[in-house]
Amino acid sequence: MSFTEREILETIRMVALETLDIRTTTLGINLLDCADPDLETTCEKVYAKVVQQGAELVNVADSISADYGVPIVNKRIAVTPISWLVGPSGARDLVPVARALDLAAKEVGVDFIGGFSAYVHKGFTRADDALFSSIPGAMAETERVCASVSLGSTRAGINMDAVARFSEVILETADRTASTGGLGCAKLVAFCNAVEDNPFVAGAHIGPGEAETVLNVGVSGPGVVRSALERLGPDVDLLAVAETVKRTAFKVTRMGELVGREAARRLGTTFGIVDVSLAPTPEIGDSVSDILEAIGVDRTGAPGTIAVLALLTDAVKKGGAMASSAVGGLSGAFIPVSEDQGMIEAVADGALSLATLTGMTSVCSVGLDMVAVPGDTPANVLTGIIADEMAIGMVNQKTTAARLIPVPGKGPGETVEWGGLLGTAIVQDPGSFGADVLHRRGGRIPAPLQGYKN
Amino acid sequence: MPRRFLTAEDVRRAGAGPIEVGAQTVVTPHARQVAEELGVRLVTGGGDWVPASPDRGPDAEGAQASLPHLPEPEGDGESGSVIVTAVGRNRPGVLAEVTQILSESGASIADISQRMIEGYFHMVLVVNLSPGSDFASIKERLDCLGGPEDYAVNVMHERAFRFMHRV
Repeated sequence: MSFTEREILETIRMVALETLDIRTTTLGINLLDCADPDLETTCEKVYAKVVQQGAELVNVADSISADYGVPIVNKRIAVTPISWLVGPSGARDLVPVARALDLAAKEVGVDFIGGFSAYVHKGFTRADDALFSSIPGAMAETERVCASVSLGSTRAGINMDAVARFSEVILETADRTASTGGLGCAKLVAFCNAVEDNPFVAGAHIGPGEAETVLNVGVSGPGVVRSALERLGPDVDLLAVAETVKRTAFKVTRMGELVGREAARRLGTTFGIVDVSLAPTPEIGDSVSDILEAIGVDRTGAPGTIAVLALLTDAVKKGGAMASSAVGGLSGAFIPVSEDQGMIEAVADGALSLATLTGMTSVCSVGLDMVAVPGDTPANVLTGIIADEMAIGMVNQKTTAARLIPVPGKGPGETVEWGGLLGTAIVQDPGSFGADVLHRRGGRIPAPLQGYKN
Repeated sequence: MPRRFLTAEDVRRAGAGPIEVGAQTVVTPHARQVAEELGVRLVTGGGDWVPASPDRGPDAEGAQASLPHLPEPEGDGESGSVIVTAVGRNRPGVLAEVTQILSESGASIADISQRMIEGYFHMVLVVNLSPGSDFASIKERLDCLGGPEDYAVNVMHERAFRFMHRV
């Protein structure tokens, strides 16, 4: 036998008991050639291209899953930011494009399609302006479309006009989707240093340097890492912890590499990247928070949390880097509050505050993700929270994101149930002070010295 | 004017007769599925319509050519085999149940090991499938064996283990 029994049983245990899976196979589709002076024609072209290119994605992913015995949970599509192809039409209402994307996603059987997006980290085009205005309607009227905006970067600074405007967009989206607890905002995210090959929703989209079509893979495996650390026990030192995470991340990523190569081959497209991310789900045991606690904090959010998260993110990247022919996307550890049972409990126990969470985002792979705030949070408070998050990304030369959900009718400490992968959240208290002048002042925060690299 | 899209609804409305598909018409996946279910023929230019492969772009061809050159993890000549494991409560007949399905599927067992660990049996079989046999259906039959209080069977392709445990 070319494998030891121990190796074989380890793999089986990961899949059967520790929820090892491929979180997403995401097909990126360039839509720039769908631009047309007539918006209706643009919509038709968008629908046609997504349906033609995406038709086989679900079948291929399912067949790989069946052939290799590796579960592939989600099949998704990422497209070119829509604001880049609607310029010629001069249209102000872009909800029809979102509807076309939604219909195409349903037709090919993917659960989400990302790319109702705009890059405005330095300024707005007419089309970006129209896209911002159309986001609340698009989020309310479609089921599977995800929107994302780029509000800042290390090289461009932060567009505070865009941050302030985005805060209003969030509030309007929450209002338009009030009957579902502001769920529209769960499909809406703002980035600093947006990555152009991110396979994970809500931020999935395909940037200008990408090929016509590309297959990207997002792996997962918090349950596998946590189990490995639990077996290691509390009596070994942190070097051993880091080494264990690295080795486990390597193995998890190898499954992503296998699936990515095979999916690209069967679809006849280019294999882009593997996003080496620990992405939790609300399922018991599939939690990044549990890993942090296994490493050494009593509760996620306690002093020491940022340090252990830094170790975890770094070790995941190191383990993943060697395992894949091309690592990309966000790669690290996700900390989406509502999607991680351990995080939800940490908030309920009063261990995890918004302030600590913000600190954690300086060392995790994304940012403030799936954070519920009171429905009556003023726009200037949202502006402050988002600006803080963007600043962390800008200065640290990393991607940060904000996916905030003002829950209509709910106040701090109350619970909101979104169900499914989006989970449950406890509304967090943003405090009683805001940033009214910052919100109104506008303009740009200039790029930091770190951005001047030439 | 030729139709731009052929949807599942169009197929249902068209009844039993064949549907002419234009060169520029986009046939949606559901339309294809419904046509197949209802036995409606999709035709083009006098022959059966077959979906064209989408143009994946200028990089795709090169990418397809270079994919096989990405180094595979090392391994011996067992490429294409599958690994079947069964873990659970020990009782007579487990091995027979598993091997019966394998032999009915025309698969041959290349290696087998079985041992008790902490009161549970662990069985590992390396299985070579006969050419043309359907991995998915064998897996489906094996996955149905055992039960929550009995034993669990897992079937994975050997390449998955090679990727995970070999560089």
